[in-house]
Amino acid sequence: MRIVACIKAAPEDQDIHVAPDRTLDLSRAAWKVGAYDLNAVEAGRRLVDEVGGELVGLSMGGEALAATKLRKDVLSRGLDRLVVVAGDPAGDALQTATALAAAVNEIGDVDLVLLGAGSADRYAQQVGTVLGALLGRPTLNAVDHLEVQRDHVRVERLLEDGVQVVDVPLPAVLAVTSGINTPRIAGMKDILAAGKKPVLEVTPPVGAPAATTRTVSVLAPEQKDRGRVLVEGTATEVAQQLAQFLKAL
Amino acid sequence: MDFRLTDEQQLLVENVRELMARENWDAYFAECDRTHTYPERWVKELCDLGFDLIMLPEEHGGLNLGLVTLTAVYEELGRWGAPTYVLYQLPCFDTILREGSPEQIAKVLAYVGTGKQIWNSACTEPGAGSDVGSLQTTYTRRDGKIYLTGHKTFITSSAHVPFLVVMARSAADPTVFTEFFLDTSLPGVRIEPLEKLGLRMDSCSDVYLEDVELDESDIFGTEGNGFKRGIKDFDFERFLVAASDYAVAISAFEDAARYANARVQFGKPIGRFQLNQLKFTEMAIRLDAMKNMVYEAAWHYDTDGMTATQAAMCKYYCVNAAFEVVDDAMQVMGGVSVAGDHRIQRIWRDLRVDRISGGTDEMMILTVAKGVLRTFAS
Repeated sequence: MRIVACIKAAPEDQDIHVAPDRTLDLSRAAWKVGAYDLNAVEAGRRLVDEVGGELVGLSMGGEALAATKLRKDVLSRGLDRLVVVAGDPAGDALQTATALAAAVNEIGDVDLVLLGAGSADRYAQQVGTVLGALLGRPTLNAVDHLEVQRDHVRVERLLEDGVQVVDVPLPAVLAVTSGINTPRIAGMKDILAAGKKPVLEVTPPVGAPAATTRTVSVLAPEQKDRGRVLVEGTATEVAQQLAQFLKAL
Repeated sequence: MDFRLTDEQQLLVENVRELMARENWDAYFAECDRTHTYPERWVKELCDLGFDLIMLPEEHGGLNLGLVTLTAVYEELGRWGAPTYVLYQLPCFDTILREGSPEQIAKVLAYVGTGKQIWNSACTEPGAGSDVGSLQTTYTRRDGKIYLTGHKTFITSSAHVPFLVVMARSAADPTVFTEFFLDTSLPGVRIEPLEKLGLRMDSCSDVYLEDVELDESDIFGTEGNGFKRGIKDFDFERFLVAASDYAVAISAFEDAARYANARVQFGKPIGRFQLNQLKFTEMAIRLDAMKNMVYEAAWHYDTDGMTATQAAMCKYYCVNAAFEVVDDAMQVMGGVSVAGDHRIQRIWRDLRVDRISGGTDEMMILTVAKGVLRTFAS
């Protein structure tokens, strides 16, 4: 089974500084593979360990993806190899998914494409569904459990009012939740092995689509002074008071 | 000089950070400290990342990554207030591999990856502390067996290790010092744990040896070489204490710095008062000096060898500088640091013990002075 796990490099959120005008300063931020993407990598690794095959990492991005450390980091988490597509990490979902779809076709014989719940920076949660549509494959998000059963995967989706169980024929595109697993922390042996794994750089197809979305602004939430309200009493009283506060907001 | 870590070293450090951030280890450490429990679950998780493979040679399944790598890991663990002092056995396979018989080596290496305590050496006795040569434990040959008799004290880890390397003198010739690889479950071995001010996650016990029956194959290294062996391996142990103490001082410093920025008195954060600023300046300088010292010694160890003088300098300086950093941090945090259950209390107690444990300050001074003066002896 050949599984592709899509990943995106994003600025580490702890390193992002908020300027007084609420704009974000990313200049001091280290770039890392998004935490949600690691759930997709982990899910892919577990499936491949179970049924055999290959787990290929796929990422589109700019300079950040050239860093050997970032590549080794994600390769050490369970990928067999990495495919990197040059592109603008700020591109919208259609532009990103178009580049990824071309790469998936180029990798060839892909049974399953896995994505995280959303990217660590935008978290628009769009790329998975657009990618599925472009590839013309069954596509689901909110996948909280998956197992391979002969020629299909049985998927559990976490919905607001219950769990939906769906048998999905392969090949398919699935976006997993952040709760589907706890991504492994790579050991020293995995880190050393990562540097020896193959990385393929591919150029994106010509004639990329125009942007279909437009970012109006990206600003940090306004800082507010703390309310300094202390709630005291029994559990019931405290709950009632908290409910009142929430209603008043 | 280039102190930058490689990609691989940085990733190992980041992964250690991820492990430490995944749960509230502080609560676990506090409980282990309170109950004198070895934090095996934490050590096991470190071993899952390959911690005990860092210094292990490749022919024994290790990664042989060197002391700079180990130092970087200690540094990160210390930043989280972790008790790196319990880890000393895991980078120390060198002694066993050099001196041990194939059977002894196999017994020790069987524990790699388990996170369990494995062995320690037992030298100290009621009448033989820094003056190891005055020890009274003896071994006697009788009917093809060797019998070990004596009383060891303050023996770190001894309550839970399966093996102790015990130094004894020959009953037939008291000038001959030999070590024995002792299975602590043998008849005649009695271990009585002691209370301790600090380093409480590792045990410290009296070990009574009453006619413990051993075979010739239980000799550790070469008969008569016990004294020399011990002295050679002291250097590495001293370095580890230095690295451990430097590292844990970082946590106290960072706790104090965050506190000084947040705590407001007389209308401003207490970090803006000059008496506190002097403390932060001195703490930062000490941390920087310790960092340079341990990394330089580790680099020598990996390249052209670390001398006994360097190891003793590291221990003497870092133990005391770390203690001063932690003590200053306590002063900055005031009541919060001494009342309640802040981790700095545990760290302060631990560091006080390290001025005695693993070679006293006074023995470090003797070693350093001898080493530096010898350079200028005609």
